[in-house]
Amino acid sequence: MSALILLTVFGILVLYLGFVNNKAILAPVAIVGLVATLVLSVKDWNLGSKYFHDMMIIDNFSIAFNVSMLIITILIFLFGINYYERMEHHVAEQYALMIFALTGAFLMTSFSNLIMLFLGIEILSIPLYILAGGKKSSFRSNEASFKYFLLGSFATTFFLFGIALVYGASATFYLPEIKTFIAQFHGHLPPMLMVGLLFILIGVAFKVAVAPFHFWSPDVYEGSPTLVTAFMATVVKTAGFAAFYRLLGMGLLPLPAPLEKTLWVMTMLSLLVGNLAALRQTNFKRLLAYSAIVHTGFMMLAMLSQHDSSASVLLYYTFVYSLATVPLFIIFIHMKRASQGLEELSIFRGMYKQKPWMAVFMTILLMSLAGLPPTAGFLAKYRVFILSISQGYLAISIFAVLMAVIGIYYYFYVLREAFSESNNPTPLEINKLNAVLIVVCGAAVLLLGIFVWSVPI
Amino acid sequence: MILIIILLLPIITGFFLLLLRNPATVRIVALTSAIANLLLTLGLIISVPATTYTISSTHFMGTQFTLGYDGISLIMLLLTNLLFPFIILSGFTRSHVQIPVLNFLILFTQSSLIGVFLAQNAFLFYIFWELTLIPVYFILLLWGGENRRAVTLKFFIYTLTGSLFLLFGIIYLFTLTPGLHTTDFSAFNQLHIPAATQTWLFWILFIAFAIKMPVFPFHTWQPSTYTMASKQGVMILAGVMTKMGIYGALRFLFPIVPQGVLYWQNTVIIMCLTGVVYASVIAFRQTNIKRLIAFSSMAHISLMAAAIFALNYYSLQGLLFQVISHGVTIVALFYLVHLIQERTGTLELPQMGGLKHVAPNMAILLLMVVLGSIALPLTSGFVGEFLIITGLAKQSIWIAVFGGTTMILGAIYMLYAYQRIMLGEPNPNFVKIKDIRALDYFILVPLIAIIFILGVYPQPILNLVEASVTSMQKLLIPANEVISLLTR
Repeated sequence: MSALILLTVFGILVLYLGFVNNKAILAPVAIVGLVATLVLSVKDWNLGSKYFHDMMIIDNFSIAFNVSMLIITILIFLFGINYYERMEHHVAEQYALMIFALTGAFLMTSFSNLIMLFLGIEILSIPLYILAGGKKSSFRSNEASFKYFLLGSFATTFFLFGIALVYGASATFYLPEIKTFIAQFHGHLPPMLMVGLLFILIGVAFKVAVAPFHFWSPDVYEGSPTLVTAFMATVVKTAGFAAFYRLLGMGLLPLPAPLEKTLWVMTMLSLLVGNLAALRQTNFKRLLAYSAIVHTGFMMLAMLSQHDSSASVLLYYTFVYSLATVPLFIIFIHMKRASQGLEELSIFRGMYKQKPWMAVFMTILLMSLAGLPPTAGFLAKYRVFILSISQGYLAISIFAVLMAVIGIYYYFYVLREAFSESNNPTPLEINKLNAVLIVVCGAAVLLLGIFVWSVPI
Repeated sequence: MILIIILLLPIITGFFLLLLRNPATVRIVALTSAIANLLLTLGLIISVPATTYTISSTHFMGTQFTLGYDGISLIMLLLTNLLFPFIILSGFTRSHVQIPVLNFLILFTQSSLIGVFLAQNAFLFYIFWELTLIPVYFILLLWGGENRRAVTLKFFIYTLTGSLFLLFGIIYLFTLTPGLHTTDFSAFNQLHIPAATQTWLFWILFIAFAIKMPVFPFHTWQPSTYTMASKQGVMILAGVMTKMGIYGALRFLFPIVPQGVLYWQNTVIIMCLTGVVYASVIAFRQTNIKRLIAFSSMAHISLMAAAIFALNYYSLQGLLFQVISHGVTIVALFYLVHLIQERTGTLELPQMGGLKHVAPNMAILLLMVVLGSIALPLTSGFVGEFLIITGLAKQSIWIAVFGGTTMILGAIYMLYAYQRIMLGEPNPNFVKIKDIRALDYFILVPLIAIIFILGVYPQPILNLVEASVTSMQKLLIPANEVISLLTR
């Protein structure tokens, strides 16, 4: 709990530091805050504390996810030092809003009451609506923000309506009580409860961008400032899945058959739609948006193959995925700068010629996303497949294997561009800090894949 | 301990090469490392009895870093370490484009190939199996010829599709192992999988190997990839990587899904023999020498694949012998083709002819290699293919007849190609062409010597594989009994 309070305090502090008119101190202060939060979070390990009449339960599951999100946010802030250097106004707000969003994410990992989940999702979303519109003069950024806001609120109403219906049927917001209430029907739920649950699932599915509720994500990813996109693709997705898992694991599993089938269909659709759409993309940000949808499918696969280790696999997968995605966005930012603001895949051309080390680390990162050994991404997929095959979902696993192959096509398409000759090589500049961070991330992805095969929860 | 040295020596040298600047030094260091590895391997074969090497501390999720070998691994290990010095030596040209990176990638490939052949754990096997693809992908992408971007991607996706099915199979087997799950081969071998499961599991496992070999109809990546690959790239691909498929099939299929093997035996043999005839006929129609040899390689490999499934003593013995023989021959052949291309500037047969007048020594060496490739008596190809066809004949005379077409059709298209390259009237375009240099002798003479020595005295290799072939035989006996019970 102290971690959550400290995080909020630092958010407000960073917001007020905006008055000092000194951009250089913002990132260090924010990072100090995050590190302090990290330390406080870790200290709660194994305590299993409960707050607000059990509405929040901070157990090992939530701490593990919080720590993973904190690490990724620290990474994004470190990259932000360079990214926000060119921005004149409102830099403090950017950092503060991300910290506030992270506060919401903390609530999403530790709720045990649907109201708390609703609060978490809203606290996460509202800063994101603003962040997506971070480039005030950019038409596309405004579009992204507005689109995200409209669709996001629409999904929220579904979610809220679902909570109301479930409350109407069961007279409680507490997940464990809802679980016992559902159990007494032995799979034949009254319609009100069924519809309520379905709406809740739709609301959460929208947040993690599972097909067919994914339509917002490519547009929003494309339009938002790239660093915000990186934040959305990683931290928000992690938080969404933590909430999803908690919702299912603590309350709703075993789901009634129709709902479970719905989720399986959503899983397969994510894998299929994400891949097929990604094949046709020429814009790198849209490509990563669709590939994120595919990864969502794999995470759903891990989550729905119910097993004790599902949570651990899910955490490993999200963390490894985030660790590879953030530096890729940063590399993209640099290539974009070198090519006068283009976002096509062809901007990667000539990278190997100019910065061989960068091309090598990009190879490692893309290999991790594609799931090739010896990177951590392979191990994450391997563990997902172990889960799903050991739970007997053979046909779906084979389908997922085929989808993984398609993924390799577009990741290696990008890679191929990086190793091709460029027609007009403009000098590619990268500052030391970012270079070091990219190398660290690449090395981490590689070393995690070789030495660290699981995370404790 | 010697195994871990053999495994790591190339890759460590490879990383060291990246620090060097002078191309000449880089090549010498790389060559030294490859030769040292070859000597270590020979030492291993001569002295130490079979061992396994385990680092048990890394045991996690049923995966253990276990290296070890038997006769089959030794053959593959010998082949890899025998060919890599020549592959590196063939890069001693005037080209100075990124020599450290190229040699690093070659040595990286060598290490991962050795890993594939030594791994005693399916997970480890898979990691190395995939790892071979990465350096080869870059060798093809960065040093390949025309249209390399599209072809390389196709090759990569094609082989990875198979690999991922293999991964599925490995995980499935992993979940079947009793108690604390494990991916050790020894545990897989003791599984008793129901016959119905084995029939589909066979294909899940086999597709990866069928693509790698390649067996008809999974071959479509092969001709274009071979054609556009650089000299060293194609030598690695054709010489060693095709053998990975054979090794994998022997390692996975027989011990783990013996009933599946018996069930699909005839289907697969027919597929392979279709490949033999199909590839031979297409090879005859090619005008590009490299494409021609790519198809000829496919025909020979298809025959070897048929030998895997003939399931008797002779065919297995012939198969393992042919692994060495084919590897050596095809590497020499591709080296000569590149030599011809460097000299004449073309690969098209209609533009050639009369080369023997200006390059007589090259003509003689090419003739020897061609004879080895079409399995004339006294060459190693003869011993291998003769044993294979004897084995096939034990299975069925018709299979042997179709298998035998490799030799006949091979003789037709290879000699026809030879005639069109070397013989005929002196070609006015080729007057200034130089004959082969000292470096080419260093590569070709030892390879040709191996071809002929093994053709005359094949016993060392046959002794090496004796034990493995016998044990492989034993694996199938119980499965045979089950099948005969079922069909009665």
